[in-house]
Amino acid sequence: MNYIENVFICLIAPLLVAILCFGGRERRNLLFLLWGMTACLLSSYISTFLAAVQGADLKSASMEIAPLVEECLKLFPILFWLLIFEPDRNDVSGCVLMLALGFATFENVCYLTQNGAESLLLLLIRGFSAGAMHVVCGAILAIGMLLLWDRLWLRVAGTAGLLAVAVTYHGIYNILVSQPRAAALVGYLIPIVTAAVLWFFGRKLLRMAV
Amino acid sequence: MIESTVNAFQLGTTGFCTCWSLVSALKSGKRPWLLLALASGVFFLGDLYWQLYLLFYGMTPPYSYIPYLSWNASYVFLFLLIQDVRGLRSRVPYSRVLWLAPLFSAGMFVFYMQRGDWIGNIVSSILMCLLLWYAGDCLFLWRNPNKRGKRPLAWILLGFCLIEYAVWTSSWFWVDDTLRNPYFWFDALLSVSFLLFPFALRKAVDA
Repeated sequence: MNYIENVFICLIAPLLVAILCFGGRERRNLLFLLWGMTACLLSSYISTFLAAVQGADLKSASMEIAPLVEECLKLFPILFWLLIFEPDRNDVSGCVLMLALGFATFENVCYLTQNGAESLLLLLIRGFSAGAMHVVCGAILAIGMLLLWDRLWLRVAGTAGLLAVAVTYHGIYNILVSQPRAAALVGYLIPIVTAAVLWFFGRKLLRMAV
Repeated sequence: MIESTVNAFQLGTTGFCTCWSLVSALKSGKRPWLLLALASGVFFLGDLYWQLYLLFYGMTPPYSYIPYLSWNASYVFLFLLIQDVRGLRSRVPYSRVLWLAPLFSAGMFVFYMQRGDWIGNIVSSILMCLLLWYAGDCLFLWRNPNKRGKRPLAWILLGFCLIEYAVWTSSWFWVDDTLRNPYFWFDALLSVSFLLFPFALRKAVDA
């Protein structure tokens, strides 16, 4: 047994207290961090359920079902927030990234509880790479949304397209890291390289949105 | 073997189109370039996912949600691209010839439904119908001599949609992994269209 729910409660308890204490932008960021963790927990349930319904094995579930479920669950709260609260466009990227961070953090904690914490090198590679992958997926959504913000139809259709970009990127990462040796190494490196490229060109791209 | 070669060629052309469009977007700051980069980029990712699965497991993905999602997303971005290049439409009546687009898409939908899944076919048919309609409409709107520079983009988009239909249809009747299978030739032609998009868009953006 993993007791993933117990780990979740233990992690979110201090966050909940902090959410009550803070206000304004800090509270909103913490709420997105919290939702990121919740999305990770929910996606593990939903992926397992869908895999059982489809009769998929573990490999198919992790490569074909999990990326779709995880990225959708990360996107839905953002969409809800965008459509209901109509926030300022400058606030969007920070919130999307906080959500991705929450997801990556909880996923890493689950990985630790499942696989132990003996190998520091493996944990370093895994931590940075999976963390970077979720942040890159969040950044793809955030930067894309900012660039396609002008008109409602552009925003809606663009967001659906960007979700597909994030899902496929996630799927490719999952395929590569499940392979032995060189392919896995390439898989682990891709998000880190993409994050560096996005960091380098992201600001230039964002200038297009202004 | 041939499938992998054709896929590799498509990865090359979509990758080329993505890089060119991204560099042009960064240089010019114009949104059509970004939309083309996203369209070709997500097509590239879908192809890459498919090819990696084929490479590591020796078979196509059994559920295929992800590659089909990315190819449909590519059509969405192409639709946004043609919308963006066209801009606000003047109050010119639509040509009657355009009704061929929904008619053709509906006919093909009924044909594909004999074997395919409902949701995937509905989504692809709606997107293809929109692309055919908009490409055709733009061809009529851009007959004006000072907008003629934009016409190649509409022609290539129209060609892209028709080739995509040819790819799908040929995959129904031919399954052998030889060069006699027209599926591979149409797929290669589809790849070539990604080489032409940047040139057509450059003309359209400059026009």
